[in-house]
Amino acid sequence: MVEAVTRTLWRLPLLLALLSLPFAVFAHRDDQYLQATLVAIEPSGVRLQINLTPGVAVAEQVLAQIDRDRDDVISKNEAAAYAELLKRDLTLRVDGRNLKLKLTASEFVPAAELRTGSGTIQMEFSAIFGPLAAGPHRLTLENRHLTTISVYLINAAQPRFATVEITRQKRNDNQSAGEIEFTFHPLRR
Amino acid sequence: MNKKIALVLILLFGAGLNSFAQTNSTPGAPTAGIVAAAKKFLATLDDAQRGKVVFDFKDEAQRKRWSNLPTAIFKRQGLRMGDLTKPQREAALAVLAAALSPQGYAKILQIVEADEVLRTSGGQTIFGRDEYYVSFLGQPSTTEPWMIQFGGHHLGLNITLAGEQRTLAPSHTGAQPAIYELEGKTVRPLGRETDKAFALLSSLNEAQRKQAILDFQMRDLVLGPGRDGQTIQPEGIKGSALTEKQRQMLLDLASEWTGIMHEAVAKAKMDELKKHIAETWFAWSGPTEKGSAAYFRIQGPTVVIEYAPQRLGGDATKHIHTIYRDPTNDYGLKWWKP
Repeated sequence: MVEAVTRTLWRLPLLLALLSLPFAVFAHRDDQYLQATLVAIEPSGVRLQINLTPGVAVAEQVLAQIDRDRDDVISKNEAAAYAELLKRDLTLRVDGRNLKLKLTASEFVPAAELRTGSGTIQMEFSAIFGPLAAGPHRLTLENRHLTTISVYLINAAQPRFATVEITRQKRNDNQSAGEIEFTFHPLRR
Repeated sequence: MNKKIALVLILLFGAGLNSFAQTNSTPGAPTAGIVAAAKKFLATLDDAQRGKVVFDFKDEAQRKRWSNLPTAIFKRQGLRMGDLTKPQREAALAVLAAALSPQGYAKILQIVEADEVLRTSGGQTIFGRDEYYVSFLGQPSTTEPWMIQFGGHHLGLNITLAGEQRTLAPSHTGAQPAIYELEGKTVRPLGRETDKAFALLSSLNEAQRKQAILDFQMRDLVLGPGRDGQTIQPEGIKGSALTEKQRQMLLDLASEWTGIMHEAVAKAKMDELKKHIAETWFAWSGPTEKGSAAYFRIQGPTVVIEYAPQRLGGDATKHIHTIYRDPTNDYGLKWWKP
């Protein structure tokens, strides 16, 4: 009980500050969860660099998925669990074959910073697709994470290897799903 | 620069009187002039203020501390304009006036003035002229690298200087409201960007449009604040598929960002863009009717420019975010990073 009251009091200045913000501030993506994904295709696999930025009005909703014990601290276990949750909402395929994603990096800003609407969670997942045949390939990515509050961006990163050439990108209207056509040139340097 | 001159600048450039820029610019303004203005500004400060405004040049956290968001949401460091005396504010603005072109400086004043309109129309103190911050990374120098930062809501100017070399990348400009009245005149801080982009789009034939127009929504900047070091695959229509006239229009559109800097630097950057024009892409997303809220991107080997109307909070044409980057030299890295 004491802890709950303390937590509420601790949040009070922030809540008052947010309530005092005018409509114009709320024009800054307050009620949406921006999920921006950069898809880096490499000769042996794919890296998904995902930046997650909840707006002020949806920050509590997102935090409820992360800070499960509501102690205002995002623990290592909670961060790992949230990464797992996000991973389950992602489907990555190359040439129609599902790829297994592995969390390779994550950085969680403090809960208080997420509540301001300026905090960004960064996650990186990677997947190995094994030896690729020379020629054209097709990668698809679908993001179903918190669809009712989210806006999405999906972009292919400019390849760092001459052996990978992006030939075409397509997305659905809200960019929750994207398709990247690329050609693998194993003999190129 | 006093308030009256600033007002004249805002109104003249708001009304599109570009000849003012040509007659009042100082050709080839050397870094020495900017350094002198910076030192003059520092001389107006007391020790405590100087301690707050100058950061170590290697302070990466401060280098990256810029945003589109208002100060109530994103905390800046440095000196807040509202905490300065009138002579100090004028000296701070004189540093910008020395580093920027007349039209670039006017654009910055117009963006700040838009935020003042937001404050006075909404009665909120978190907006307005007072809520902009100035800071330096490193000491002003004609030989050593240093940096000028000026920013607040819808503005993040990052000017890196290394001898006579200078860059504005990465910087954010924006506006809300993107159109307002001042002294009976209509001011559009990003009006020329908008008009030139629609003119370029309307010059494209059907086949070119098919390449340039993306068939999905772009709800935000892809490489906005906080996206340092990321590079994306270009999309849209390539410069090599444009006519010579259209390429000129594309360069003219890009000049709205490169031309924020003083003309000596802007010309060098524009020469670089011209060299790469065949490999520079133009992409469009959203409605194509003139004046509607649409996203566009210019992307070449040494430039990324994005323009993204914000669809939240009312009319998206009145709330614009833009970003200007150089994927090969953000923060002037190639001049000073080993």
